[in-house]
Amino acid sequence: MDGSLLGFGQWLQNRSFALAIAGSDWAYPLVQATHFTGLSIWVGTNVAVDLSLIGLGKKSSTSLQLSDALFIWNWIGFGIAVIGGFLLFSVSAETYLTNIAFLTKLGLLIPLGLVLHVVIQQKAPMWEKALETPPVAKVAGFTELLLWLCVATAAVLIPYVG
Amino acid sequence: MFLHICRWLQDNSFIAVINGTAWTAAAVEIVHYFSMFILVGSMVIVDLRVLGLVGRAQGATQLADRLFPWIWASLVLNFVSGFLMFAGSATAYYRNDIFYDKMGVVLLAIVANIIVQQKVRKWDQLPAMPVWAKSIAVLSIGLWVGAIIAGVEVPALTGVG
Repeated sequence: MDGSLLGFGQWLQNRSFALAIAGSDWAYPLVQATHFTGLSIWVGTNVAVDLSLIGLGKKSSTSLQLSDALFIWNWIGFGIAVIGGFLLFSVSAETYLTNIAFLTKLGLLIPLGLVLHVVIQQKAPMWEKALETPPVAKVAGFTELLLWLCVATAAVLIPYVG
Repeated sequence: MFLHICRWLQDNSFIAVINGTAWTAAAVEIVHYFSMFILVGSMVIVDLRVLGLVGRAQGATQLADRLFPWIWASLVLNFVSGFLMFAGSATAYYRNDIFYDKMGVVLLAIVANIIVQQKVRKWDQLPAMPVWAKSIAVLSIGLWVGAIIAGVEVPALTGVG
């Protein structure tokens, strides 16, 4: 691991807010709960749109209508998850920065998931115009679902490999 | 009686192997987290729609029809994976007060889910969402967030799990 990155980790975990969370009995679990609540909204809204693109479930609305209706809460969920995640990270930044599961999650899987997610949101109106959902839309939805499952896998594996 | 069942569960060789093998234990955890995200996220979206805070272009009934199948499917996955995690340390959970709180909050949240699912079609036909519909929606969000908080408090305060 790059020395300057580790230096940053060390600096971050010695900020007063990080020390306060680490030193409090109740703050850490509440930050965890914040992270999970944000993730629930983010993953729940993503999975709903992905499954709709794949063509599963009741067709009470189109994927585009669903994606548009959920758009704001989708990104609110993401914002909450990022804030909670950053605070959890800051508590033991140095350890996380040497954990291969964390580095894979943050450096590879989340960027890939985000890029695909934005592409899907951009392309949804075009896919909507086609008479039938094009195969590429189904593949994109399925791949995104799989990518977020990989993110969760990497997250669960952090303590296993650390 | 219940303690006996807990002991029996914990000593069951199938349960012991699942919880004692790193990759199966991790797989069970992944299923538990991911299904929880889908369950809570989808339900909160339905609740927010009842409150009028999610895109109104989408009717509450439309959204509920879309999301409730995933809500119930993920609840089943969440229950099965959660049961396996519980069974692996059943006697420790047996003595764990916060774990009982969590189960109580989850049960109430499920009751709120059922009420919303049963009533949403009717509410949707009214000129405006009735106050008690909105109250149930707020309660439902509160209960699921409460379930998450209780969930993280189990290991944080008691070291179990």
